[in-house]
Amino acid sequence: MSLKTARVLTTIYFILMALAVTWPGLVLFARIEPFILGLPFSLAWISAWIAGSVVVLYLLDRVEKRYRDGGEG
Amino acid sequence: MEQWVVVTIIIVLYLALTLTIGLMAGRNQTDSVAGYVAADRSFGLLVMYFVTGASVFSAFAFLGGPGWAYSRGAAAFYILAYGALGMAPFYWMGPRAALLGRKFGYVTQAQLVTGRFPSKRLSAMIAVLSLVAFVPYVTLQMRGAGIVIEAVTDGHVPLWLGSFVAYGIVILYVLRSGAMAVGWTNTFQGVFMVIIAWSLGLYLPHRLYGGIGPMFEQIAVARPELLVPPGLTAAGDPWSWGAFSTFILVSAIGLMMWPHLFMKAFTAKDDDTLRRTVILFPTFQLFLIPVFLIGFAGVMFAGQPASSDFILPFMILETDLPAVVVGLFCAGALSASMSTGDALLHASASVFVGDGVAKFMPLTEHQQRRLMQVIVLLTGAIAYYFAMDPESSLVQLLATAYGIISQLAPPVVAAMYWKRATTPGVITGLIAGTATAFFFYTNPELKPYDMHEGILALMVHVPVLVGASLMTQRQDEEHLKGFFS
Repeated sequence: MSLKTARVLTTIYFILMALAVTWPGLVLFARIEPFILGLPFSLAWISAWIAGSVVVLYLLDRVEKRYRDGGEG
Repeated sequence: MEQWVVVTIIIVLYLALTLTIGLMAGRNQTDSVAGYVAADRSFGLLVMYFVTGASVFSAFAFLGGPGWAYSRGAAAFYILAYGALGMAPFYWMGPRAALLGRKFGYVTQAQLVTGRFPSKRLSAMIAVLSLVAFVPYVTLQMRGAGIVIEAVTDGHVPLWLGSFVAYGIVILYVLRSGAMAVGWTNTFQGVFMVIIAWSLGLYLPHRLYGGIGPMFEQIAVARPELLVPPGLTAAGDPWSWGAFSTFILVSAIGLMMWPHLFMKAFTAKDDDTLRRTVILFPTFQLFLIPVFLIGFAGVMFAGQPASSDFILPFMILETDLPAVVVGLFCAGALSASMSTGDALLHASASVFVGDGVAKFMPLTEHQQRRLMQVIVLLTGAIAYYFAMDPESSLVQLLATAYGIISQLAPPVVAAMYWKRATTPGVITGLIAGTATAFFFYTNPELKPYDMHEGILALMVHVPVLVGASLMTQRQDEEHLKGFFS
């Protein structure tokens, strides 16, 4: 994946996340059931986006690192 | 032995350990400003991770978090949501700020901004703005420490004394060891806090309800309104989506603008350390989940503490836990309070002296360092004065502080990323934004959609910055080269 694509995708992820955890995105998921691992749905929903952000940042870092080591970007 | 005696012994042991670590930390540091402010740029990943995590998770997270979950339910989720959002841009901004820091010798973000936009007045404005934002934030931490100690010792150690002792210790090690002390004590406190939060967060629901699932099922039946965002207001009415969403946004934007966090870019050993800290940061964020569980565990228990800030210690006492557990919890809360408080005091002094005073009178390195230590004491004293005011609430204090600090975001971003920005543009924007925030802070009934005044202020700030920059003369190419090549 090119550096630019990785950066764009990362940015998109965080914009989607911002929408998903505030109005209007969260309105759709503001409910109690189904319980996930014992947690009410909305709490699990927000937590999942946070866990996802670790993965996204990690993947971004791998691409960025490759470019840094290659002396480009 | 009576419970409060056991608790007090644990707290004393904990404080003694923190003090020792704090004082030991400064031994090998150079006696320079870079040493005091930026720890000679020496922090590795482990220290960075806990410094950042522990200074974000303050008394607000540890006391306000459960307090909110208990009384306002899902409204508390806002605290969970903003951290990852606010930290992510720092993956790029951090190393860039660090690069400029090494190139031009910056140790604070005001130096970065005024390096790009040379103006003594701007520097002083940022210094004052930071200090104004710091005071309610330090006040919150002190009050938090005092509340915990008073509650768990049955009032044998009153708020004024608890705050005084805990912060006396903080001030002592910040004065002596500067950034190094903040680094090492936060590592210790960060680890301690995570362990305490997870163990209590899993233990309490289990003991009181037989598990996390059963706890939420019971709450869903008895108080379903608590589990659906945006939750409730302090008065128990439904909270508005406008407020919930803008609290998240203003906190995300404000988060990395805190000088004590932004300055981490200058304390990190290298860029990879910074980037890895950003990547791992959301894992620290998830530590709020057990904190919420602690708060939710209290929902089905009758009884009402004197003030909502006392909910957590109140609940801990109500549930008849062994004294050792109460003592450890209390030490955890103190960790949270002190690890943010020390970073705040340290940063406020660095910023106020470096960006305020030193711009207007020549000072030697040694004098600057001394003056910083005086300011640490002074900020501590002012915050202590406000912390004793029984009218102040932890949440209100934090919201006010974030409204102010988020106004630093446009100048910082413009300094690093927008070539066309000009000094008059940045100054005009900052004045317009601050004035708007102040206006809505004093006239809350005029806020459209119940939005946070910090966001409303940014809506004015950014267009003014852009407009005024475009109307004034472009910066000199030679000057820009230093920042953008």
